[in-house]
Amino acid sequence: MELLFIFTFLLLASLIGLFTKKRLFIEFVSVFASIFALFGSINVAMKVVALGSYSPFSFLYVESFGAVLLLIISLIGLSTTVYSIQYLRQESAKNIIGPARVRQYFVLLNLFILFMFLATTVNSPIFSWIFIEATTLSTVFLISFYNKSSSVEAAWKYLVVNSVGLLFGFFGTLLYFTSLHSVDNGSIVSWNGLLNGATSLDPVIAKIAFIFVLIGYGAKVGLAPMHTWKPDAYSKAPTPLGALFSGALLPVAFVTILKFKTITDTVVGLSFSQNLLILFGTLSVFISAFIIFSSRNYKRLLAYSGIENAGIMALGFGFGGLGIFAGTLHMIYHSLIKSALFFCSGNFLLKYGSAKIKNIRGAINVLPFTSVVFVVGFLALIGMPPFGVFFTKLTILSAGIKNHQLFSIVLIFLVSLLFIGFLKHVTAMVFGKKPEDMSIKKESVWLIIPPLVLIGVVICLSFYIPPFLYTLFNNIVLHY
Amino acid sequence: MNILFYTILPEIVLLSIISLHLVKKNSEMVFLYGFQSIAIVLMLFCSFLTTGKLSLLLVTVVVLLAKVILAPLFFNKLILKHKLVFSVKKYVNTSFSLVIIAILIITAYSDKFTSLTNIIPANHASLSLAFSAMLLSLFLIVNSRGALSQIVAILSLENSIVAFAVFAELEQSAGLQIGIVFDIFVWMIVATMFVSMIQKHFGSIDVTSMKNLKD
Repeated sequence: MELLFIFTFLLLASLIGLFTKKRLFIEFVSVFASIFALFGSINVAMKVVALGSYSPFSFLYVESFGAVLLLIISLIGLSTTVYSIQYLRQESAKNIIGPARVRQYFVLLNLFILFMFLATTVNSPIFSWIFIEATTLSTVFLISFYNKSSSVEAAWKYLVVNSVGLLFGFFGTLLYFTSLHSVDNGSIVSWNGLLNGATSLDPVIAKIAFIFVLIGYGAKVGLAPMHTWKPDAYSKAPTPLGALFSGALLPVAFVTILKFKTITDTVVGLSFSQNLLILFGTLSVFISAFIIFSSRNYKRLLAYSGIENAGIMALGFGFGGLGIFAGTLHMIYHSLIKSALFFCSGNFLLKYGSAKIKNIRGAINVLPFTSVVFVVGFLALIGMPPFGVFFTKLTILSAGIKNHQLFSIVLIFLVSLLFIGFLKHVTAMVFGKKPEDMSIKKESVWLIIPPLVLIGVVICLSFYIPPFLYTLFNNIVLHY
Repeated sequence: MNILFYTILPEIVLLSIISLHLVKKNSEMVFLYGFQSIAIVLMLFCSFLTTGKLSLLLVTVVVLLAKVILAPLFFNKLILKHKLVFSVKKYVNTSFSLVIIAILIITAYSDKFTSLTNIIPANHASLSLAFSAMLLSLFLIVNSRGALSQIVAILSLENSIVAFAVFAELEQSAGLQIGIVFDIFVWMIVATMFVSMIQKHFGSIDVTSMKNLKD
């Protein structure tokens, strides 16, 4: 039942934004819906731990990976909502946006979070597709939020790439349905129904279907070469949205690919899907490693880092074995850290009024708290010990070195390159001399708390993984 | 009935997409899209007559309303509003486009995709035509310079997928039907909002005028 309440509250929060003009009320309802979603998700996760899966109705089904995703979406959703309130207030104070825009933002934000919840919990591949497509509809108007030429252009690019990608995903999904000719076609086919029918699927069709699904949903994940929309959309959308894009939408689309991978593996064995994941993963890390080095915009830098980390997750699941465990853990670390970094970048943007790296200098003097969180987040993201990403990257590499030495060696080189590229930009932004005309004011506590909490969770999870999460991870490794 | 369903209708879909690569005027493009959509409606209707499933009739009516009536009307209104007469420009010239089209059709008929076009062996020819239409729609998306022609190309890709699903006998799946209706809904909203926004910001719907993302 808690799932229905989560959906209802998020929908209500969105509708209230449509029908009332009271900003404080809209903000309060949005935060309340997000808090409820977090506690509801924790409750569902506990039930999945106890029962193995949770299905209050045949239409909804949450297994271990779904439970992890619910926790990620709800935590990132809550922190984004809280952060957005103060962020948009400051933008309103600078006359960047008006009250109507604020209402539009919260309507779309709550819808976006709702659709991600639905895509994760719905027990049907077609409905998963529909809700992921629905996220495109809600986010495209958030990308064009500032109504500038560049943001409209970014939104259009996002729309075309993702729509074509999702049509590919739709076609791939349909091909999986060819195994179900004997099933009652009037009913909605569930994920388990598709998995059970997979034995009668033609192996060549299964391969073609997986390629379409990987390209289709891979566009939403941002795997190279379908990543082209990502830097533009991230850099033009309101900054808090980057956290949800990178921290929540990426894992939702990635897990959908993994669900189809399981079906494909039962037909053609593990190696086909694993090799494709390794190929797309390596390409993603390769492209982002070289572009990060020459990046001039810190929001685009974070976008390319998202592409790199999606690649590392793909490599983890491609290498298999311990790589799956590390890939799952990497997904969580990345979601939390990247969201925190996007919040920090929002603080830089508010203070300096520029997203260009060359314009951000001496941030440690201007925004000391933000800068410290940013540096810690950066160190965590590139995999410095003792942060968890160090462990996940090392484990993925060690899983790969057994059977895919060449890819692993290339990966070591690329990760080193990424480290240097990232370090160059971060040191330039944080240290150095601040602009002469830049005043130093106290930072808003509501712009610091969300990234600080997320980094705090990452640090805790780097040293201690609670038993319930371990159970979920073990189930994921067994299933995928 | 059989000849219409298995031969003429998928040929109309394919020929309309080939023609979309060749036309110069927006109004011709919209007409071709409407014509193509009629073929899709007839396919779905034939399927309803064969199976007697009411849900298929409902989807047929929705597709008829949205793709054959509303979408062309809306596109024509946009063309008139923004005076978009000759904006169906392509990146690749006509003769080279025809060469690529021929290569794509040969690819669709090649042995590589036999499994795909043999899902229902009796419908091999129709599935090959539908798959060719998919590849040509994809090329149309890549090759189009106008926002409106990109939208029509994406909608053509969707039509091709529906045609493929009909000949693969997957159209009776409730999931597919909901998926089709939802996709139409999304694109109607998006097209309504975005083409006007692009025209307002860039003074044109030519996507090559979008050059603001160079940082």
